[in-house]
Amino acid sequence: MVGALYAAEGTPAGALEAVAREFSPRIEVCGSPSAGERREVTLDLSGVERLFGNGHDIAAAIRATAADRDLRVRVAIAGTRTAARLLVHFRAGVTVIEPGTEASSLAPLPLALLAVLRTNDSNDSNASNELLLTLRRWGLRTLGEFVALPPADVAARLGQEGVRWQRLAAGDDPLPLVPSVPEERFEQALDLEWPIDGLEPLSFVLGRLMEPLERHLERRDRGAAVLHLRLHLVKNTDGTRPVHERTLQLPTPIRDARTLRTLALLDLESHPPAAAIDRVVVAVDPTPARIVQYSLITRPLPSPEQISTLMARLHALMGDGRCGAPATVDSWQPGAFALRPFAPNVNDLNDANDSNNSSAPILAVRRFRLPIPARVHVDAGKPARVTTDRRGLGGGRVEQCAGPWRTSGVWWEESDREWDRDEWDVTLADGATYRVFRERDSNHWFLEGVID
Amino acid sequence: MANPARATVESALRVRKLDRTLTTALPPLMPGSRPRVDPSTLIPTDVATLDASLQGGLPRGQLSEIAGPRSAGRTTLLLRLMAAATRRGDIAALVDTFDRLDVASAAAAGIALDRLLWIRGQAITRLQDSGLREHPDSWGVVPGPSGLFDRTIDRALKALNLVLQAGGFGVVAIDLADVSPIVLKRIPFTTWLRVQRAIEGSDTACVLLVPEPLSRSAGGLTLSLTARSSWTGDSDRSRRLDALDVQSRIASPRRRVDGEVSLRCVTSVGV
Repeated sequence: MVGALYAAEGTPAGALEAVAREFSPRIEVCGSPSAGERREVTLDLSGVERLFGNGHDIAAAIRATAADRDLRVRVAIAGTRTAARLLVHFRAGVTVIEPGTEASSLAPLPLALLAVLRTNDSNDSNASNELLLTLRRWGLRTLGEFVALPPADVAARLGQEGVRWQRLAAGDDPLPLVPSVPEERFEQALDLEWPIDGLEPLSFVLGRLMEPLERHLERRDRGAAVLHLRLHLVKNTDGTRPVHERTLQLPTPIRDARTLRTLALLDLESHPPAAAIDRVVVAVDPTPARIVQYSLITRPLPSPEQISTLMARLHALMGDGRCGAPATVDSWQPGAFALRPFAPNVNDLNDANDSNNSSAPILAVRRFRLPIPARVHVDAGKPARVTTDRRGLGGGRVEQCAGPWRTSGVWWEESDREWDRDEWDVTLADGATYRVFRERDSNHWFLEGVID
Repeated sequence: MANPARATVESALRVRKLDRTLTTALPPLMPGSRPRVDPSTLIPTDVATLDASLQGGLPRGQLSEIAGPRSAGRTTLLLRLMAAATRRGDIAALVDTFDRLDVASAAAAGIALDRLLWIRGQAITRLQDSGLREHPDSWGVVPGPSGLFDRTIDRALKALNLVLQAGGFGVVAIDLADVSPIVLKRIPFTTWLRVQRAIEGSDTACVLLVPEPLSRSAGGLTLSLTARSSWTGDSDRSRRLDALDVQSRIASPRRRVDGEVSLRCVTSVGV
């Protein structure tokens, strides 16, 4: 026995499902996924009679439960899901038919009612529209008239699609009921008897919460994409209970409890709660787990869990924005670069070129991120002597020099990134080769780096 | 049939992780012939002359060092080593103590930048630069208060330790080239023993970039570099820096690999 519920417009999303779940764990939400059209639910009522009585009693109980929640619903109970859906769309109130009488009960219903059985597939929708037009041209008006046609002739004229719709008109189910699975929450919480202060005791609490979370994720073959940590703190003097919330975006799906706990603790080291904690809630946004194929040929690389943990530790040690993968940027600005998250792609690594680079090494610059002020004596338009106040920096007579190379940029913006300067390469008497430049607007000299 | 006594000794050494260390002490089987080296235990530098002298490259699982004064080609050689490693599928890490890496130079050297973990050291601000006392031992270019200087080195060493403990990197380098030898010698020697212990038996080659030879493990190498700049062009207008002619002296335990190698590091447009 199958029931169908149809709610009036304006029903809150999820309210009808909640009513249906009161009566059966096996429910299927019909209609398109958009919240406004999820107003129809079918539910498997097999075995429910022993709890609520016959079909009429069940229908009455459903209506009463819905009314308690301020919902106006239609209820239809039939032997098949298709019949229940057609009936609930056609008749208001409660409709109950005996199993086995679907075809006769549906016979007087208008043919246009078949439109409610269309799926979300646009092809299916177009096909059913054409079919209904064809049947109307044939002079058919009710479902019973369509069912009465010989199936062989329907197949000859409309194909197997026509036969499928004819069975639907008779109330047959083409597919079994597919229960909708309620959205699972991956969350663990713990109320503490005494507030805890400090990260060390918190690590034990987090460990206790993460382990069941890991098992839950493993059972569902899911990994955590985002880790939410909510720490309910002790009451303030004004009586309010602040909540310290942290959200960690994980680079890859992770479900290892130790890794998650370490990442949470490292984040809390940088962003500690303001008061003692008396309730801890950990939740994750699940995502399909990673499938890793290890190779016997390539070298093993650190797993994403190891890299995530390493990066979190390095961020805690060095500060935000100090660790990552360097990247060049599309700019002529001297020393311009970007720092991206370090996430080497294993597939790219496997495709790495193993060829030997036989060209000569290319000279590198050791760049002073903040240029060092220098005093430069210019003779005949060329640097002749370079000195700085820095201990240990050579300075001295210029043996060789090349330049100037004039560059400028970002003068079109009101920005401190603007530059306008003449660059020189100079080799001093001690053998060191520097790159120096003169700022043209201030006529000040700086050391930009060492050729090394 | 193998000698069971010898097998027992080798097994015991393997358990104590002493097999690799002691193996290097064994003389070659044939007088005058070089011992065979497993190429998978080396990281090539992709500099043909240097790799030939090193019998394939720098050893994995050992602490090596590239030493030399300013403009000796230290950074060029390190970037070349990292480029070779990343091109072969390894990932590399650079602990950049004083934030000296020029990303354009790294890209020009051929490093796959997405496989390089760059850990940038303390940034010295202009305020600190102008207003605070210079450290008496800071060697040249690192200004700031004494505590800041020591803390920066200390933090870099901790970062190095974290990276080595994480494992999985082909090359891990720490740039201490701008720290004076006096300060470097104040670092407890046990620091380098700990580093060696962390990489022992792993596939990681740890490289120190230092102004003078400081420390290497029993199986590691020291590359002492010196260089002369080479200029081209007859007139002032056409003159430009052409190359660094680098002389590399190799020191290794028990002179396993030894000798001097010359290499030429050329300039590139954009560097």
